[in-house]
Amino acid sequence: EEVGQNDSVRPLDRVEARNFPPRWGTQKNLIGESDDDLDISTPETERNHVHAVYDAIATQWHHTRGKRGVLWPGATRFLQQLPKGSIVADVGCGDGKYFPAIWEEGSYVIGTDISEPLLQTSIGACASADPANVGPQNRQVSSSKTGLNARPAVAVADCMHIPLRSKSCDAAICIAVMHHLSTSPRRIRCLQELSRVVKKGGMINIQAWALEQEQGSRRKFAGTDVFVPFNAQPRYLDKVQTESKQSAKPDDNGCKGAAEMYSDAYDGAEYDERKGLVVFQRYCHMYKEGELENLVSKIDSLEIVDSGFE
Amino acid sequence: MRLLTHNYMQSTVKGTERGYPLKIEATKIEFEASPFDAEFIQALLPKIDYTTLLFALKQISENGNADLAQTIIPELPESIKEDGEGEVDEALLKKLHTVMFDIHVVEGELVCPDTGRRFNIKMGIPNMILHADEL
Repeated sequence: EEVGQNDSVRPLDRVEARNFPPRWGTQKNLIGESDDDLDISTPETERNHVHAVYDAIATQWHHTRGKRGVLWPGATRFLQQLPKGSIVADVGCGDGKYFPAIWEEGSYVIGTDISEPLLQTSIGACASADPANVGPQNRQVSSSKTGLNARPAVAVADCMHIPLRSKSCDAAICIAVMHHLSTSPRRIRCLQELSRVVKKGGMINIQAWALEQEQGSRRKFAGTDVFVPFNAQPRYLDKVQTESKQSAKPDDNGCKGAAEMYSDAYDGAEYDERKGLVVFQRYCHMYKEGELENLVSKIDSLEIVDSGFE
Repeated sequence: MRLLTHNYMQSTVKGTERGYPLKIEATKIEFEASPFDAEFIQALLPKIDYTTLLFALKQISENGNADLAQTIIPELPESIKEDGEGEVDEALLKKLHTVMFDIHVVEGELVCPDTGRRFNIKMGIPNMILHADEL
């Protein structure tokens, strides 16, 4: 099984980096709310700053990250080495942006994610293309895969309880998920679940944000547990459009201020008046060098094959 | 949800002994023919639980959409026979492709065989999220 730390600086990410330093201490118990070693229940921090955020930003996320097919290279390389006919679990698959890479390799992927709105954006997400033009980075599939693209195999599920039979998959990927888990028991549980669903000898690729960034990078994380802002454009936010239609009345003294409207509709989101953007704060745990490997080593059934930073 | 996907799924409710195969109670089934790749089906065969596939096919044929079942859904043999080289007859591969890939449960419910817990399917996506008291 393979473990890697990964970060790649992309244009969109630099916008986020400019909003640093991230906010601290506005939330009690930022790092999990229970000392119980075995407690894997969902902490409020994740409910509000991971699950709810992805539900709200699903459409924009898919349009900006997913459609452009910006994939983490390590994950792509891993998928391109799979034997044809592999059954791959994509745990925390989001909008399914790794699906085309798996399908084009002649394998079958079953994706799970906690966000139903995000999963729904994976349906029919790829354009059909000439085999010569198909590549993992451009979110296109060859004509023989259009059936898969039209109806990707996905299920809404928590990575703490992956709804797949034990030892049923040849491989698994878990990309950009581990950094959204706020406690050690939950991180370990995710790894245990990945091990459970993959057959003996099968490979697992895990990628998460690293604390240490390359020299010269503009990105600087203030600490191991941070909020990473996501700037949502109001036109993508369904909830407010619905509510503003409902509340607008001819005899109102004045419309609700935009800031109030957005923060009402989306608990914890803030309206940046100057930019006209709704800012969501996503909880992220940045992994120190060796930290992920250390977690994996706690699980008897997993063996590190390769690890690194990119 | 395709029957191929169903093949790998299980219920994770506390107290399940096995959690599969999930029963299928479909209220909306769609059939959509997709490109046939003999090599792909041949490669997948060792990886599916054939008994579960037959079970799922029976569930689909029995509930709702009786006309769909009769006109489109092929019958499958009780077991798959391979020739001397481990290859399966192409006609059978085509039937397997149809059953595994082209039948879609768009709306309905999956039912845990041990606890009876029902999981909703919407837009072809099963929702397997459990409530706190089920964990």
